[in-house]
Parts: sequence; structure tokens; C-alpha cells
Amino acid sequence: MPSASESPTATATSTGAGAPASAVPSPVPPAARGPARLGRLLQAVAILVLAAAVLSFPALAPNPYILSAGIVVLNYAVLSTSWNFVGGFTGYISLGHGALAGLGGYATGLFVVKAGLPSFVALAAAALLVAALAVPIGFAALRVRGASFVIVSIALVLILLLVFQSWASFTGGSRGLVVPRPFPGLLRPEHHRVFFYLFAALLAVALLAWWLIDRSRFGLGLKAIREDEDKAESLGTATFAAKLVVFVVSAGFTGLAGGLYALWFGDLDPVFQFSILTGAYMVLMALLGGVRNLFGPLVGALVVGIALEYFKVEFGNSPLHLVATGVLLALVVMFMPDGILPAIGTLFNRFLRPTQSSIREVTAAQLRDRDGGGPPAQSTEDTPMGERTGTTA
Amino acid sequence: MPSGALLFQSVILGLLLGGLYALLAAGLTLYFGIMRVVMIAHSAFLILAAYLAWWSHARLGVDPLLSMIVTVPLFFGVGVVLQRLLLARLRPVTLTMMSVLLTFAIAVVIEGLLGYAFTGTQRRIQLGYGTASFGLFGARIAVVKLIAFALAGVALLTLYLLMKKTTFGWALRATIQHPDAARLVGIDTDRVAGFGFGLGLATAAVGGTALALDTTIYPSLHWHWIGPLMAIIVVGGLGSVPGAAIAAMLLGLMQSLLQIPMGTTWAQTIFYLALFATLAFRPQGFFGGRLAQRF
Repeated sequence: MPSASESPTATATSTGAGAPASAVPSPVPPAARGPARLGRLLQAVAILVLAAAVLSFPALAPNPYILSAGIVVLNYAVLSTSWNFVGGFTGYISLGHGALAGLGGYATGLFVVKAGLPSFVALAAAALLVAALAVPIGFAALRVRGASFVIVSIALVLILLLVFQSWASFTGGSRGLVVPRPFPGLLRPEHHRVFFYLFAALLAVALLAWWLIDRSRFGLGLKAIREDEDKAESLGTATFAAKLVVFVVSAGFTGLAGGLYALWFGDLDPVFQFSILTGAYMVLMALLGGVRNLFGPLVGALVVGIALEYFKVEFGNSPLHLVATGVLLALVVMFMPDGILPAIGTLFNRFLRPTQSSIREVTAAQLRDRDGGGPPAQSTEDTPMGERTGTTA
Repeated sequence: MPSGALLFQSVILGLLLGGLYALLAAGLTLYFGIMRVVMIAHSAFLILAAYLAWWSHARLGVDPLLSMIVTVPLFFGVGVVLQRLLLARLRPVTLTMMSVLLTFAIAVVIEGLLGYAFTGTQRRIQLGYGTASFGLFGARIAVVKLIAFALAGVALLTLYLLMKKTTFGWALRATIQHPDAARLVGIDTDRVAGFGFGLGLATAAVGGTALALDTTIYPSLHWHWIGPLMAIIVVGGLGSVPGAAIAAMLLGLMQSLLQIPMGTTWAQTIFYLALFATLAFRPQGFFGGRLAQRF
């Protein structure tokens, strides 16, 4: 799936300049224009089919259990899309986003129970609170790179688990916190149906926000951080501010997802709300689908979320679902670190779009890494400089 | 104000605890030094070793300390295999991040398999000398805690001698300091990195056995250890073994002292406070060496 930064206009203009195509040997074959359009068309069709599938799911679900499983998968999709604001744009891997979701859930629940706020006002307040808390957290965590950042994100989950378990007088501790339902009059299947659409709406908003950032100048700065943070900084990108802003946005969406889950599920337990596994699921889903793609986390959530629900049915409460999760994560990291969608995209490009336009979605270091055996589609221009300049020849 | 005897007891216990922390964190700094790997699975291997010690005592009737004859070489081998077959194959550019995820996956798999093999029931080794203790200037010190500390001391001393006095240690330190230069002088850095990794896991085998002597174990216990251990290596400056040792002793002592006014659970927060304070004021760690500057 081509991302926005692949600049489809470059392909279009180069074919235009090369006409009549039969006379001038252009690197962009005359047929390329058609497939580029075809690609966009396919993309639009895929989005429409996906949207239709999501919207019609409640009507097609054979029983409330399947519908609730659908809600869980959608919740995962929102969470991993929210995660992808940080992970996909900046390349910082946070294993602690589960803590932000848990915080959103507990904040929503506590606002309803202790402060008596209406459910959805509480949800909005909780999301704002999580976003506000993300400022100091991000301030400490984003000062460091790589390994230390991951350690901090793990520590965040552990410390919140500790606090919410120990501070039982306020949070209910291990006895749990019961969150009153927002629509007390609804029967269970109807309740599921309403929340399914709420989660779908939240997912759409999160995807839209990601898409907007992806196309913006701000997004370009974030990707520069991912490619080479030192260089980005030396070129005048306000790297720290950019990282902090996108972390806060990501935290806000994660808090919303957690809060909505709390309103739907109605019963919170620190052990599940502040589990490192939740954060790991988000990473796994985003990586599996592809972090550089708008729909990567969604595709990953569909695969992993459905698999998790299946494991739950199949293995019950036995610890084997942990083994399955671990093996899946290891396989993705070892063999498919770029995800499913880029793999499909490469395949698509190889057959339908023999030449690529300029801006690549790999780092310069990765390029050096594979310099020995470059991809067949770009074999003539294998060096970084050649590829950067020699696109339209 | 707590009495002098209580304070003294806490100091002793804190130092004993700090010794154990130092041993466990030494393994982590080793991995990080060798190949910039944050090994989340270290504490899972710790619990695995603890389970093996418990199992050898409960099922085979062997003293848990003797289980180390098997677990230490076994863990060493597992470490070498892990490094050579999995970690060394990750792309160099994304190594740090991806290794976190990979070792996280390993930790989850170990937790799941432990739960499957031994169930989630809490286990504890019943030793003849398990409840023995002796008095020292009014403080009571459990014999098992002293054994654990002695184990940690012996293991750390062995590690130190291995690093400073042997050819392998010399090669390992060269690999840590400058892999390219080490290759230039003819060191097979891949091989050395594998052995270094094995060495790190061997410390987990010793630490896990020491842990099993004195604590109740269950499969998900490793999550409780990850936080403190990670905090220790960050405060100590990632990759610095002496830094980690100092941080471990200091934080162990503080935790033990804070337990008097705050209770066991809240005293744990000292690790996280130290972690965030370090990152906010001195991201390269408080006792870190040259290596830590880069992260």
C-alpha cells in the first residue's frame, strides 16, 4: 500500500513529460500511469470494503459473544493505531502504552463513580487527563533514546500497577472497580451494538488523525527523527517538541480507547488494566501490519485480535496463550519486522510499478545494510545518491 | 523513630539484598555492553532457575544449591544459542528496539511454559536450615539470606576475575569497548559475544537459585523483578558493571530502610523514583562510564 510520501504526482508528471512514450526511452514505462491509478483505485475499494465490513458486522454477527469479540478486536485496532502515532512516526518503541489505556479506563471509572460525572463527560475528562499526564511522562522518557525509552515505558506499567493495587481505598484495589453503564436501559446485545459503533467511530477518528499527520510538515519532521535523529536536529527540526506533541496525541487516543473500554466492560481490575501484555499486543499488532502504513495496525489488530480471541476459547485460562503470543511476536520480529502491508506493497510494486519515485520509506542505514543485494526492481540504481537523484532521469 | 536495632537490621538486610541485585544487574549490563541488547527475559530465566532449584529439591530431594551444577552450564549454553541463533540475526540498525521485543517474547514464552509445567501455584522450598538464623549485635539474620549473599559474592568475584585475568575476559572487554578494533586484532567477536551472553545467563542461574532459597515463587514473578533491575542498570549507567553494582547496593539499602515507615509494597516505588529522577537529571546514569554517554 503506497503511503502518502511516495508522491504520486512525481510519477504522473514524469510520464507526462515522457510522451510520446514510444519515442523517448523513459525509465517510467508508458503502462506505469495506468497501474498507478489502478493502485489508488484498489486502495479506495479496499477502504470502502473495509468500512462496509465494519459497519455491517453487528448485523451479521450470529450471537452477542461474536459481537463482543468484534468490539475487543476494534478496541485493539484503536489501541494499536494510537500506539502507531509514536511507534510508526518516530520509531520509538513503547511497551508501556497499556498503562495509558489503563489510566484512561480508571480515570473514566473514577470520574463517574467518585465525582458523579455523566459517562461521556467523564470519558472526555479522562482522555484530557491522560494527555496532560503524558506531558511529564514524555518529558522524562523522551529525553533518552532507544533502550532507555523502552525501559521507562515498562517501568510506567509496573509503577501504575503497584499504585492502583496498593491504593485500594481509592481505586478499589484488587477487588476491582465497577463502572456504571452509560445506557442502563439497554439490553446486552443492544449495548454491544452501540459500543461497537462507538469504537468504530473512534477508530475512524484515530485513522484520520494519523493520515493528516502523515501528510503534514509536522509528520515529515517526525519521520526525519525516525530516520536519523541527530541529522534531523542539526537541520533545525525541533525534535524534542515534535516527539512530545506526538506522544501526547498518542496518549490521548490511548486514554480514550481505555476509557471507552471501561464504559463498555464495566469492571476494572488493576492486574488486567496495567498489564505489560496489553502494551506488547499493541506493538505486535502494529509491527505485524506494518508501522509505516495507515492501516497497518488495523490489519495487525484483525490478525492478532482474532487469534487472541481464538486462543482464549481454545486454551481457556491455561498459560498457553502466553506461549502463543510470545512465539508470534518472536516470529514477526525475526522474519517480518516491516509488517504485512509493506510486503504486499513490494509485491504489488514489483509487478505493476517497475520504477519507484524518490522518497523512500527505509533509513539510510538500512539501505547501506542491504547494499550487497539490492531489490531487483531497483538494481540499476542501487546507491543512495543514485536513487535520490535519478528518479525521473 | 524506629529503634536502633531495627535500623541496624534493615541496613544488614538491605546490604544482603543489594548484593543479590548486583549479581542480577551484572548480567543485564553484560548483555547491554556486548551488543546493546536490553534483555527483558533475564528475570524470566531467573524464575526458571528458581523453579529448577525448587523442582530438584521437591522432586529429587537434592539440595537446591546442587542444582546449580546442572543449571549454570545449561544456562550458559542456552545463552550462547540464544545469541547466535536469534539476536545476532536481527538487523543492526534496529537491534536495540527489536531485541527488546524478541527478549520480551522469550520472557512471555518462559512464563507460559512455567505456568503449564508447574501450574500457577505458589511454591517455596522447605529447607532444613530455612528458618535458622543467628544474632549479630541485636539483629537477626536468616542463614538463607546470608547464603544467597555469599552466592552472589562468589559469582561476582568469579565474574570479575574472569573479566580481568583471563584471555577470554580480555577479548570480551575489547569487544565491549570497540567491536571493530577487536576484530582488527584478530578477536572472533561473534564467538566472544555468544560466550558473553552465556556468561550473563549463567549469572541468572546463580541468582535464581539464591532467590529460590528465600522467596515464594510463581510463574509471573519475573515482572516484579524487571522493574527494579531495569531501574538499577539505568541509574548505574547502561552498560557499566561497577555502576550497576553501586546502584544495586544503594537502592537495595534504600528499599530496606524505606520498608520501616512505608511497608513492603510502597518501598518498591523507590526504584521507579530513582529511575525517573535519573532520566530527568542525568540520563547517562549516575555511575556510568563512557559507554553510557551514547544512550
